Amino acid sequence: MKTYTETLYDSYGQEFRVDKLYFENKTEHQHLVIFENAKFGRVMALDGIIQTTQADEFIYHEMLSHVPVLAHGKAKHVLIVGGGDGGMLREVCKHQAVENITQVEIDDQVIEMCKQYLPEHSAGAYDDPRVNIVIDDGAHFVNTTDLRFDVIISDSTDPIGPGGALFTSDFYADCKKCLNPGGIMVTQNGVAFMQLDEVVTTNKRLQPNFKDHTFYSAAVPTYIGGIMTFAWGSDDAKARSLPLETIKHRYNTSGIKTRYYNPAIHLASFALPQYILEAIES
Amino acid sequence: MDRLTVKPRSAAEPYQDLIKQHGSPLLILDCDQLAKQYHQLRQALPGVTLYYAIKSLPHPAAVQTLDSLGAGFDIATSGEIELLWDQRARPRHTIHTHPIKRDDDIRDALRFGCTTFVIDNIYELEKFINYRHRVGLLIRVSFPNPDTPIDLSRKFGCKPDEVEILLNKASALGLHVKGLSFHAGSQCPDASNHVHAIEQCRHIIESHFNSTGKLLSILDIGGGFPVEYVGKAVTTETFCRPIREALAKLPDHVHVIAEPGRFLSAPAMTSISSVMGKAHRGDSIWYYLDDGVYGSYSGQIFDHATYPLTIFSDYQQQESAVIAGPTCDSIDVIAEDLNIPPMTIGDLVVGHQMGAYTSATATDFNLFKRAKIVVINQKPSDKAADNTVAFI
Repeated sequence: MKTYTETLYDSYGQEFRVDKLYFENKTEHQHLVIFENAKFGRVMALDGIIQTTQADEFIYHEMLSHVPVLAHGKAKHVLIVGGGDGGMLREVCKHQAVENITQVEIDDQVIEMCKQYLPEHSAGAYDDPRVNIVIDDGAHFVNTTDLRFDVIISDSTDPIGPGGALFTSDFYADCKKCLNPGGIMVTQNGVAFMQLDEVVTTNKRLQPNFKDHTFYSAAVPTYIGGIMTFAWGSDDAKARSLPLETIKHRYNTSGIKTRYYNPAIHLASFALPQYILEAIES
Repeated sequence: MDRLTVKPRSAAEPYQDLIKQHGSPLLILDCDQLAKQYHQLRQALPGVTLYYAIKSLPHPAAVQTLDSLGAGFDIATSGEIELLWDQRARPRHTIHTHPIKRDDDIRDALRFGCTTFVIDNIYELEKFINYRHRVGLLIRVSFPNPDTPIDLSRKFGCKPDEVEILLNKASALGLHVKGLSFHAGSQCPDASNHVHAIEQCRHIIESHFNSTGKLLSILDIGGGFPVEYVGKAVTTETFCRPIREALAKLPDHVHVIAEPGRFLSAPAMTSISSVMGKAHRGDSIWYYLDDGVYGSYSGQIFDHATYPLTIFSDYQQQESAVIAGPTCDSIDVIAEDLNIPPMTIGDLVVGHQMGAYTSATATDFNLFKRAKIVVINQKPSDKAADNTVAFI
């Protein structure tokens, strides 16, 4: 029997049975595998860390896209930083009111590989005429672009890996600069129970850049260790505390089909456990 | 073993066959011998997990053989990690033991999946701040031992009374220290250093628990297990008995690991070289081999080892002789003050116990070609045959 052992933590971890290996690529800089697991379907792992699985990716992608898009209410221009697997693009494309979507991915090979081996992630979204793919470092892009967006979604790897630049004060400041008035930036921010100081650090870095900043959360089974937090930054403090009826109306109007997200989850996801609140406030 | 053994010419035949097939000089890596050493040490130290120190012989066949037996690996560099990658060794079964690391070294090890690292000072501890959620650390302690001629505490390892300072600092930085490690020396004559160090570590582990309630759950007792070169070495059983007794006194929760390098690899490799020239100089006859101290015999310089040699001759007379290596440097002498029967050009000289710190430290001086390593008795690997994912 073959197994894949995640090595994200020293004293704790998850293990997958490898039912079939689809793809493996080892270069000097990274080791990427995609394999089949009976419970989670296709699993992609990079350098010993699970990146995404077919079975539970919907939770992550729905929450990091629909929450800001529907909280904004009139998002027409959306930027996705990273997200090479295409799952985020698929979810944003569901919103017919969004007029154009720019996705900045540092490595075009990731997109091609994911189209081939994780086709259900993008589900054809790369062919959507509203989509503009830019191959560039996300941090460089937001620093230099003249484009402005209503929603920016940072779908990055963890801060230790190649995505480190997407967790810096500079990146948040550049994102702020790229937002239209009332715009919202969201980023994946790790599993708070396992890496509480990532929440603290991000909180500190968001503070000078956004009038309103917080986190919301969802539990994604293969991002082990409890709830994953998503950072939230906007100058519109009302955006995250709209009445349930407003969200319901927008959700119903949008016509999107979801499996995790719904308006009640939307509002509830901003309720944070006490240990996170205390860490932020301390 | 004796410094030099003379065998009848007919005994050279198996070696000659290898030379005919592969050329000269050679190093013959016997995977069966490697496995035998592994089992022997496992038997002498039951319950101790062995991490092969691959620096002693960083060869793919050695890694594959020991991996298939369940051994872990002690790695110190990114180059060694690449070797483990290629052999698809299990990352969870590796420890990074270099006390001094660059950030890239840490990242390479983490990318591979190794999450255990060794530190022995504050500066090194601070290098892990960014990785604190991902790693478990061992503090390397050195125990100055006035009874030994070699000062083991010189290059690496903190003093026993510095451990608590490091533990407190680690705790303040949110870093997890999971145990202690020490190195009692290399090719130790007896286990007194090991026993002393184990006892000291036991005190540290116990007092740390008593004062903080925190567990140090791993004790890495390093290497130092001797093999027999020239002369007589203690048996593995005799050497390990006092270590077992000392380990038995450790608290139950402590898991013991060791990092044997030489013990596993030294007996697994045999050198075969050829006499490529001879000359009468003074009262001695000089034989020049096609391998020497800049090549496979480099351990005579770097490792202070003297390897048992075998020559093959049917002559009865004895002559004063010197056996030298092929390079232009006068230091390149393998053995002198010998009294041996005459050899002719093309005769073979066999060096035994030449697996550890031989090819690993060989140089390309004079651009003299290094000995080719020929692997024998290697079992086919399931993993290689599968060509499938790592981490089996």
